[in-house]
Amino acid sequence: MIVPYGNVLLLAIILFLLGAVCSISRRNLLMILIGVEIMLNAAGLAFVAASLKWRLLDGQAFVLFIFAVAASEVAVGLALIVYSQRRTGSLNADQYNQMKG
Amino acid sequence: MTLYAVTFYVLAAIVVLSTLLAIIQRQVIHAVVYLIVSFFATGLLFYLLGAPFLAALEVIIYAGAIMVLFLFIVMTVRAESGEDKGEIYQWLPAVILGIISLFVGGVLIFEIPGSKTGLSTGMATPSAFGQFLFKNYWFPVEIASFLLLIGLVGALYLGRRESRKGSEDRR
Amino acid sequence: MKTILFFLLFFPFVGGFILAVIGRYLPRRVAEWIACASVLGSLLMASLAFGAAGEKRYLLTLFDWIRVGDLSASMTVYYDHLAAIMALMVTFVSSLIHLYSVSFMRDDRDYVRYFCYMNLFVFSMLVITLADNLVFLYLGWEGVGFCSYILIGFWYSDVANATAGRKAFVLTRIGDVAFGIAIALFFLILDQLSIFSINSKAASLSAGTATLLALLLFWGAVGKSAQLPLIVWLPDAMAGPTPVSALIHAATMVTAGAYLLMRLFPVIALSSNAMVIIAAVAAFTGLFAALAALGQKDIKRILAYSTISQVSYMFLGIGAGDVTGGMYHLLSHAFFKALLFLGAGCVIQALHEEHDIFKMGNLRQRLPAVFWLYLVGSVSLAAIPPFGGFFSKDRILLSTFGHPEPIYKFLALIAEIGAVITVLYTFRMFFVAFLERPSLQEDFRKKDLKIPKFMVWINAPLAILAIFAASLNFPEVFGGKSWLAHYLASIPGGIPLSPASAPLERSMEIGSGLLNIAVLIAAYFLYRPEARFLGRPTPVVFRQRLEELLSSGFYLDRLYQVALVKPYQAMARILWLKVDEGVVDDQFDATANIFRFFSSGLQLWTTGRLSTYLKMLLLGFTAIVSALALGWYYLR
Repeated sequence: MIVPYGNVLLLAIILFLLGAVCSISRRNLLMILIGVEIMLNAAGLAFVAASLKWRLLDGQAFVLFIFAVAASEVAVGLALIVYSQRRTGSLNADQYNQMKG
Repeated sequence: MTLYAVTFYVLAAIVVLSTLLAIIQRQVIHAVVYLIVSFFATGLLFYLLGAPFLAALEVIIYAGAIMVLFLFIVMTVRAESGEDKGEIYQWLPAVILGIISLFVGGVLIFEIPGSKTGLSTGMATPSAFGQFLFKNYWFPVEIASFLLLIGLVGALYLGRRESRKGSEDRR
Repeated sequence: MKTILFFLLFFPFVGGFILAVIGRYLPRRVAEWIACASVLGSLLMASLAFGAAGEKRYLLTLFDWIRVGDLSASMTVYYDHLAAIMALMVTFVSSLIHLYSVSFMRDDRDYVRYFCYMNLFVFSMLVITLADNLVFLYLGWEGVGFCSYILIGFWYSDVANATAGRKAFVLTRIGDVAFGIAIALFFLILDQLSIFSINSKAASLSAGTATLLALLLFWGAVGKSAQLPLIVWLPDAMAGPTPVSALIHAATMVTAGAYLLMRLFPVIALSSNAMVIIAAVAAFTGLFAALAALGQKDIKRILAYSTISQVSYMFLGIGAGDVTGGMYHLLSHAFFKALLFLGAGCVIQALHEEHDIFKMGNLRQRLPAVFWLYLVGSVSLAAIPPFGGFFSKDRILLSTFGHPEPIYKFLALIAEIGAVITVLYTFRMFFVAFLERPSLQEDFRKKDLKIPKFMVWINAPLAILAIFAASLNFPEVFGGKSWLAHYLASIPGGIPLSPASAPLERSMEIGSGLLNIAVLIAAYFLYRPEARFLGRPTPVVFRQRLEELLSSGFYLDRLYQVALVKPYQAMARILWLKVDEGVVDDQFDATANIFRFFSSGLQLWTTGRLSTYLKMLLLGFTAIVSALALGWYYLR
């Protein structure tokens, strides 16, 4: 007996929302990316807890895939950030408003 | 309250606190250091929840590789961060929405039948996990490896030094 | 055995694959070697399999492919005697043609594309030959169709070539649809897609179902083999390079339709009505195409119509219940027609892309080697005894004539007329193109005629086979062994339904042999160089009309244009101008205006700022989670 299942899920949702708030309120592209990483991590935590609850290894397998997705996302995302910084000299997300309708 | 529960709450407090500190830092480099702490603690949580292999991966990939990548980029990219100075209205909508979601999500979570039953301890040894993964998920693993390759190629392509002609065209 | 068959199939595939991926970076010699070696390897495997199999038959699964519920389409091969002979023929002819192509394409810069498609074609053809599962077979069936399309339009920079390719593709597709329906029906009725199981279960089919299935299969074969009424694509398909015409449109692909019917003969044999229809369509196609060949001027078009006519004899053999005869003719036709096409390729290249036989002439002195090779092919095509084509064609005529149903006597008569005309058009082509013609301009005759020696001599094996194809199945009434008939006796339909009596066989073979020789002599007097009307400047009106009729293939193209294409275009035009622009478009314009009105309000929201979008995202997330919670609360 560790803790109730709901407590772990609550921790996961707190983490997820912290990441979401970070992504939304920060203007720095790097911080937005960090927020995404936190959210992915929170999803992983929920998966691990569910895997333990139902005694199925599938949950852990999915965490592995989340890691893969996070790694490639960070690689491409950071490359994009470097690229756009080279183009505009800024990391402010709101400077990229060329899609304004 | 068992020893396990105490460990869990301590780790959870560390995770939440360090993440919270990370997201309010003005300097990205500070945020990254706090996040490393957060990911270490998450790794320990994984261990507690019976996933030692994933705990190791969490430390290696998240706390190690990804965060180091961030550090590198922070050091290479010298640009104004674009943050406004502590404006509350910038945080307000996100925080309000976050609190609503948290409240609703919390209610939802504790309405799930069985959410109040405790998790009993268990452990998936790395070898068992590996056996399972390659027996049932060998194809997604291949796809994931392909995804990583594509990520690598994409990062290389984006990060390549532009030809002189291209940069002249822009100016 | 499994290994041998696996390599037999996958050598050409691997060759094509290598050429497709890295062919451009290889030196020319290496690419050519890969293409030829993969097909030669296939030939070696086919011979090994032929030797190793002996009297046995094999049903082997190479891969699982698709498995959904009861439907299983695995890559299964069914190697019986029919497939053994066919695989040998296909690999042999394609090996020679690949070698020939090395010379033929020596000045073409697109050789990689060419050899890649040729290798893929050989692979697809071998799939048709060996496949047991009908879906697997269909893969090869569409594969050869695709390669045929792409190779007809090989010199795509000329619009006419690309159009010819498209025409072939669309017309064969008409047949393919029927074949697809037949496959679906087989699965619905018999729960089987394996040729072997279908054949063993065929007896349980009712007569009506069997007729339907047989006719659907036949319709599919008609498309692929260019029989009436879908013959018009094959003459146009001659736009491709000559080796392609030789391989795809003479020796292998067009015979695939006949081969399919032979593979599924137990189904066909159940329905005597379908057999009569097959035989009748075949007999009329034979006569029709032979007449059309008589009116052509382009050497390749003559050969194309001749192919249609010869393939129809194979169908006639199947319709008369004599699979062995059909297969025998398929083999000898593959040899002599490939020989003729490759000879024509030599002539065309030597004369700098001249296709008109009336502008040729005097080739006997200028290309003596080609002259002899072409002569061998011609006598074989014209079925002059004792060459290969004679015995195979006569066996079919004999089994048609000997069929108990009275209507077959009539069909045999038509086929015999077609055979006589075959002699006429063959030697018309031969005499006009190869003998001395004083009326030709002097400068043309002195043109430099240089083609590689290799390109001529690679035809020698084909010529030898065309001469000795007779010994494959020399009839027993003349003291032969009938090796092929004995070999094929084990396959379904291998033994004719109604074998002819020995005296009938003897008298008929001697009779038609003499007839053919007589017509050959008549052809000499008609078409010899001194024949008066060859040089006549203004032909009589009637003759002109007749020539036009024949050379256009009985206006079949124009008929399709008027009867099918024009009404379709008119209908499409009405739909476009009246219905589409008038009704549908206006509706859409009105709808679009409404949206434009609303969106002008929404436009204010799209700030282009990332943070706004992200806020909206979280807002949506919160809304969804709240809705979930509310729903949960009320439903509980």
